[in-house]
Amino acid sequence: MSFLQFAFMQRALVAAVLVGAAAPAIGTFLVQRRLALMGDGIGHIALTGVALGFLLGTAPVLTAIVISILGAVAIELIRERGRTTGDVALALLFYGGIAGGVLLIGLSPGGSSATLVSYLFGSLSSVRPIDLVVIAGLSVAVLGVVAVFGRELFAVCFDEEVARVSGLPVRFLNILVAVTAAVTVTVAMRVVGLLLVSALMVVPVAAAQQLSASFRATLTGACVVGVVASVGGLIMAFYADVAPGASTVVLALGLFLVAALGSQLRTVR
Amino acid sequence: MTVFDLRGGCVALGGREILHEVTVSVDSGEFVAVLGANGSGKTTLVRALVGLVPLAAGRLEIFGTPIAHFHDWPRLGYVPQRLAVGGGVPSTVREVVASGRTGRARRLRRLGRADHAAIDHALEDVGLAHRGKDRVATLSGGQQQRVLIARALAGEPEVLVLDEPTAGVDADSQDTLAGALGHLSRLGGSVVLVAHELGPLAGLIDRAVVMGGGRVLSDGPPPAPEGHHARADHVHTHAHEPAVPGRPSVLDPRTFDR
Repeated sequence: MSFLQFAFMQRALVAAVLVGAAAPAIGTFLVQRRLALMGDGIGHIALTGVALGFLLGTAPVLTAIVISILGAVAIELIRERGRTTGDVALALLFYGGIAGGVLLIGLSPGGSSATLVSYLFGSLSSVRPIDLVVIAGLSVAVLGVVAVFGRELFAVCFDEEVARVSGLPVRFLNILVAVTAAVTVTVAMRVVGLLLVSALMVVPVAAAQQLSASFRATLTGACVVGVVASVGGLIMAFYADVAPGASTVVLALGLFLVAALGSQLRTVR
Repeated sequence: MTVFDLRGGCVALGGREILHEVTVSVDSGEFVAVLGANGSGKTTLVRALVGLVPLAAGRLEIFGTPIAHFHDWPRLGYVPQRLAVGGGVPSTVREVVASGRTGRARRLRRLGRADHAAIDHALEDVGLAHRGKDRVATLSGGQQQRVLIARALAGEPEVLVLDEPTAGVDADSQDTLAGALGHLSRLGGSVVLVAHELGPLAGLIDRAVVMGGGRVLSDGPPPAPEGHHARADHVHTHAHEPAVPGRPSVLDPRTFDR
């Protein structure tokens, strides 16, 4: 446990536990409504936000949160209008986000695409004490949203029209999911990086649903897989000196494979 | 008491008018079937009644309140037309049925005894009490349709609106469905049902609204069973028939299927 003697590792571990639980919690609702790639879309937009922060000389996390919330709400409104399908709306944001990011970072003084790399893949030493406070606050907010609105979110993500007829505030709940996903992405980007943050919202869910029959069990299981993968990935990254985002996602995929095999064995028997 | 009161309702979708000045009302305790051929506007009519599509013109009151001011949505239950119960995450039958209770539940409160009792009753009504813990996706199409009906029943609605609940459903499920709707009806509930074929539901119908070309062709007692083609489940209009409002009664079987 020698890694625990480093203050930056202690901070990164706390962040990993929080992110590992929060990302799959909101991710379960995205997977339920078949918007698994929404986190990825938001991640690309957040890149524009990070670059904007550099350009304006403000905190990149702050601009990333603002820009990705705007982007997520835009996805939701485009989807609601029904003129463009969800996947085309996502594609527009993917390309717009990454182009905007590279463009803005090029414009900012002394900035280059290399500046963005630590945001793309995460970095252990990048979690400062103030970041930890922000990550903790936002993770608790994400988990709080799931706890308070979970029942309504399930109803809306399962069947939007029936939820509307039963009088639920459907638009509010849809935007709540989008904003919560955006917040999760920006929270997690310091630890796992923007490119892989979506994986932490989706892969643990995919792993958990191999073995569960219910939505509730999938959600809980996904959070457990998320925490195991992000903590394990962080420790792997520390010893092997690799980007934590990569090791976290590889570990989560490994857990998915084990779960899928387990599910196969169970049906064969 | 009037459950739905639609007067001169017009609905336009994508710039094209689908419903033309439709006037329909449903009284408390009534069992109304909305019949008609494909594209006759019957689904659009019930979607307008539950507020899923806005009226371009006309007036709609639900339980005596103009729809813009109506907030008592848990009094309504709605069963959409679905081939299968979807979603990317597995859910149990009970979870789906319990979600029908969401409109009546309070945030931050666990579901109470009354909620669980309503969910249990709904599952029993559709004959799926023993399948509560199973994944919805493992059920047959007819059973999944019954899950959606149980979800609506779990909200203990005063009126149930169903869009083609019998389409593609096996005979067993149709009988169970007829039993559940008959039960609701006997308890004083109202039912509005879109159907292509009535099957075992035919005996429950108080009134049939026949749609064609986005207008009400006839509105009255259901067709009397008289000969093979007069059966209620055989009522359908033909595309070459002109859609004239106020045409002869549906009671005359020769109006249809000639």
